[in-house]
Amino acid sequence: MDGLFQKYLRPKKIPSTACSGCGLGQVHKRVLLAIDGLGLGVQDVIWGTGIGCAGRQTFNAWKGDNFAGTHGRVYALAAGLRMALPKEKKIVLTVGDGDAFGIGLKHLLHCARRNLDMTVIVADNFGYQSTGGQFGLTTPPGAVTDSSPYGLSETGWLGPDLDVLEILKAAGATFLARHLSLDGKPSVDNLKLALLNPGFSLVHFIFPCVTHFGAVSLAERDKPLILSWFKSVFNPAYGQDRGESFQKLKDRINPGFLKLKRGLYHDASGSRPDYSELLKAWTDTFRPDRAAPKEPGRAGSGEGAEP
Amino acid sequence: MDETFSIELDFEACKGCGYCLETCPENVFDPGPEHNAKGYRPPVVARPNSCLGCRSCFMVCPDFCLEVSRVPD
Ligand code: SF4
Ligand code: SF4
Ligand code: SF4
Repeated sequence: MDGLFQKYLRPKKIPSTACSGCGLGQVHKRVLLAIDGLGLGVQDVIWGTGIGCAGRQTFNAWKGDNFAGTHGRVYALAAGLRMALPKEKKIVLTVGDGDAFGIGLKHLLHCARRNLDMTVIVADNFGYQSTGGQFGLTTPPGAVTDSSPYGLSETGWLGPDLDVLEILKAAGATFLARHLSLDGKPSVDNLKLALLNPGFSLVHFIFPCVTHFGAVSLAERDKPLILSWFKSVFNPAYGQDRGESFQKLKDRINPGFLKLKRGLYHDASGSRPDYSELLKAWTDTFRPDRAAPKEPGRAGSGEGAEP
Repeated sequence: MDETFSIELDFEACKGCGYCLETCPENVFDPGPEHNAKGYRPPVVARPNSCLGCRSCFMVCPDFCLEVSRVPD
């Protein structure tokens, strides 16, 4: 194990309990590369999560402060933390698609509306995989899952004419990007921009769940082949040279149907104030004793403030 | 002078997914003969001298068990 992971992760938590070949670790790695690339230390980041595969593998592997919220509620907890913590502390949340775009969507939208300074990493495995592979809000239409044995009949938040990132943009998010867990430098660069935005940022990562989505929806157990199907999500032409076994996977679920935009989706970094800062300034006008001292010896400095 | 790289594969931390083997453009890895304590069969670094240092294997590895570093001349 190299210095980067010794620097940021608890050795006891690595290897994670994620399945062999699960792409979640690829997402995790890119987030750490971005944190390291910005020169941030363990003390600079508070790492939180909701529930499911995406969360439990990541938050408490972080050597610094970390917390787990209940399903879909981590955004509300992070909003409170944002009000309480000094501005320099970064809040990073690694959550799943069910957490962010399902049960927690309304909390998420309100964090975007307030442009609260936090970076939400949605690690999307196309459904509820930690409970055995039920369809969710990002499962491709037609997919056979534990709860759609005849194929999924509806379209969720990802489709040719519907994109959850558009909703987040309309709600006021100031930085949005989307990647595949396999993307290299461009994904790390966008993660850095997300961390630097003094407002609400979200990076959506699609990653392969080999155990449920791969084995059931794609009906394939060969992990590198499943990985190739994911490569063709953003690039439908990919894998034409991979022969019949790969074509079978593409016939099962057509990866081009989503027509998703990859890379930077929306960057309005710094264009709107972060509500937590406005709130702090506003409450200070009522509690001058709590306001940051403007000059030495003033009330609030802790030295002889009481008359 | 040609650069040389060392590839460190943590035998016990590897989950044997085979992504590195599939991804390496220089065919540096071979399927491994042995199982680790968790029951996975990690690949072996068979041809380290062919490594270009592209770090594709590091980026595709979903576990923190593979590291590529340049060997100082
Ligand atoms: S169930 Fe799927 S998403 Fe969850 S750890 Fe296993 S491969 Fe990853
Ligand atoms: S760094 Fe590149 S060439 Fe070297 S082993 Fe990894 S994938 Fe192969
Ligand atoms: S990609 Fe990583 S976990 Fe998978 S076989 Fe290679 S070293 Fe092991």
